[in-house]
Amino acid sequence: MTLWDVPAKKSALISGLDASLLPAVTNRLLEMGLTDGQSVRCLRRSPMRGPLVVQIGDCVYTLEQSIADKVAISSLS
Amino acid sequence: MGVNLTLIQSSCVMKNIILVGKPNSGKSLLFNQLTGLRQKVANFPGVTVELKSGQFGEHRLIDFPGAYSLSTLSRDEEIAVEKIHEAMHDDNTGVIVCNLDATRLERSLVFGLQVRDLAKQHNKALVFALNMIDEVERFSHNVDCERLAQDLGAPVFPVSAKTLTGLHEFKLALLDVVARPENFVPTKSIGAGDTVFSISRQIAKHYGIHADIVLKQQNTIDSFLLNSVLGGVAFFGIMFLLFQSIFTWATPLMDGVEEIIGWLAVAVTSAIGPGLINDFLQDAIFGGLGSFLVFVPQIMVLTFIIGLLEDSGYLARAALICHKPLSYFGLSGRSFIPYLSGHACAIPAIMAARTIESPRKRLITMMTIPLMSCSARLPVYALLIAVLIPDTTYLGGLLSLQGTAFFVLYFLGIVTALLVSVLLNKFTSKDNDKAEMPFILELPNYRLPHWKPLLFRVLTSAKQFIRRAGPVIFMVSVVIWCLGYFPSSEHALEDSYLAMIGQWIEPIFAPLGLDWRYGVAILVSFLAREVFVGALGTLFGIEGADENIAGLAANIQADGLTLGAGLGLLIFYVIALQCVATVATLKGETGSKKVAWGLFAGYGLLAYASAFVVSHIF
Repeated sequence: MTLWDVPAKKSALISGLDASLLPAVTNRLLEMGLTDGQSVRCLRRSPMRGPLVVQIGDCVYTLEQSIADKVAISSLS
Repeated sequence: MGVNLTLIQSSCVMKNIILVGKPNSGKSLLFNQLTGLRQKVANFPGVTVELKSGQFGEHRLIDFPGAYSLSTLSRDEEIAVEKIHEAMHDDNTGVIVCNLDATRLERSLVFGLQVRDLAKQHNKALVFALNMIDEVERFSHNVDCERLAQDLGAPVFPVSAKTLTGLHEFKLALLDVVARPENFVPTKSIGAGDTVFSISRQIAKHYGIHADIVLKQQNTIDSFLLNSVLGGVAFFGIMFLLFQSIFTWATPLMDGVEEIIGWLAVAVTSAIGPGLINDFLQDAIFGGLGSFLVFVPQIMVLTFIIGLLEDSGYLARAALICHKPLSYFGLSGRSFIPYLSGHACAIPAIMAARTIESPRKRLITMMTIPLMSCSARLPVYALLIAVLIPDTTYLGGLLSLQGTAFFVLYFLGIVTALLVSVLLNKFTSKDNDKAEMPFILELPNYRLPHWKPLLFRVLTSAKQFIRRAGPVIFMVSVVIWCLGYFPSSEHALEDSYLAMIGQWIEPIFAPLGLDWRYGVAILVSFLAREVFVGALGTLFGIEGADENIAGLAANIQADGLTLGAGLGLLIFYVIALQCVATVATLKGETGSKKVAWGLFAGYGLLAYASAFVVSHIF
């Protein structure tokens, strides 16, 4: 499962970033808080497969499908 | 004696204080509160990096662009980080101030700890400003700054740049640190087995406020502003206001500027008396520069509204809402505001494109902005529509044919821009950038904007516009004036060099069904599009055509401009990049002469071809 599959108002734990991402992008995502074991909460989804709004740690981010697809998650709740 | 002298000198010497921090952390406001009213902005060609500097006591405070990290993704960040490294090596660097966001301690520490380690490595003094302390104290959360300072190995000062809490103490402390920096080199750095992430999480857990408390208000407002129905309504309402503000509210200011310049022109020229110098001042200087300065108030109003949207936190939401539809055309959600601004003037719009995170999408946005129908095209559209489209109305005056024509022209500009974006995406190489940053954007807390950074922004935008466009406009206006003034003894436009050039290039415009007079009017409108109306007026023998569009329209109709040629001319004005100031801005912002002049030629050819096709269809 990836971050893109998390329904609105649900939480999950990040379990890794896809290896196909460029190292620089992976690094930036880590710095933005997308680290292993970090809990994420999907605050809302946009119509027409638009960007997600997620809370990661103390920040709220919006990210598009192409990147949410590459964030693996576990223990959806 | 000699020793004492050096001591005195060294304590009085001006030092640089470097201000760094994560984006959206209140850093700009802190900068504005620490420095006086005078600021300098240094730009680097082709990138969006801006270094602002101001006076702090006898020292210089330099505000570095907000960054998430010292490792870089794009060329922009590379330059920003290079500058930080340079500053670390610079002997003039006295202190590094790292701005932390008290409401998002973990995120700001990821960058803060990287900077701390760098400062330690270079033996530089470093202090942390724990900014926005008022926002956590509001929830009766207290941060033990002394113990936090011990854990970080550098002093921590709680401040609020907004409410001014702790600011006085911070200023005094900062002066003390600059005076003896060697005592403030960080004592800690990330040890083996630890990472920046683990340490910042640990510290934030201990000292930070719980995220859910801070984010509650933001999430409540978001559930309205990002709602699929209400959010859409709010979005269109806000954009409508923005559009209104640039066209309606800016008008009295623009008229004011026009009046002042007119008054100045009369005052100066009447003192000189008739002659060559008088004509030159009247037409080339006051006329040429006046037609350009008139846009300054509009640009200031536009920058003000965009600044308001950004500082309140709405701009990130607007980007989120627009991202999906724009991504079909290879653009980013952040391309929306520059596109909208382009309907006022391409120059501030191109500068507004700086906020687009992906360099490639930023370039494509900047390259297509000139296709938005800017307000300089308005008089041209008004004239040609009055000539070509009958003044009929339907549905009891609700729908007018001329009004619809206006709408079609604006729409045509937008559609062309989107199509060109698709083409540019297809035919430009993707590996130009170090890495293509995907669309991931922080949604900051909603905040009431503070007037200080806003005011500086508005003033800077006016300054940048004048500096970018002024010299070019001046040169072109002098050249065109000379060509139109000489060699005829009566200085009549129809006997001038310009008319000769017009007749000489007539074969170019003949296939479009246009004679030399239109050719000349098109030539002079390279200065600024709206000059087209005045020039055509002169050639058709109508004085003051700008105020008397109906009279000129009647003359052109009587002269027999065909529908096909007229529509072709309209299309030409929708597409052609006839604005030297925009070309100059494109050159400055993209850092490439090739892109700027390539676009000039490309849009010129496209405009010509489209006009040719249209003039033969109708």
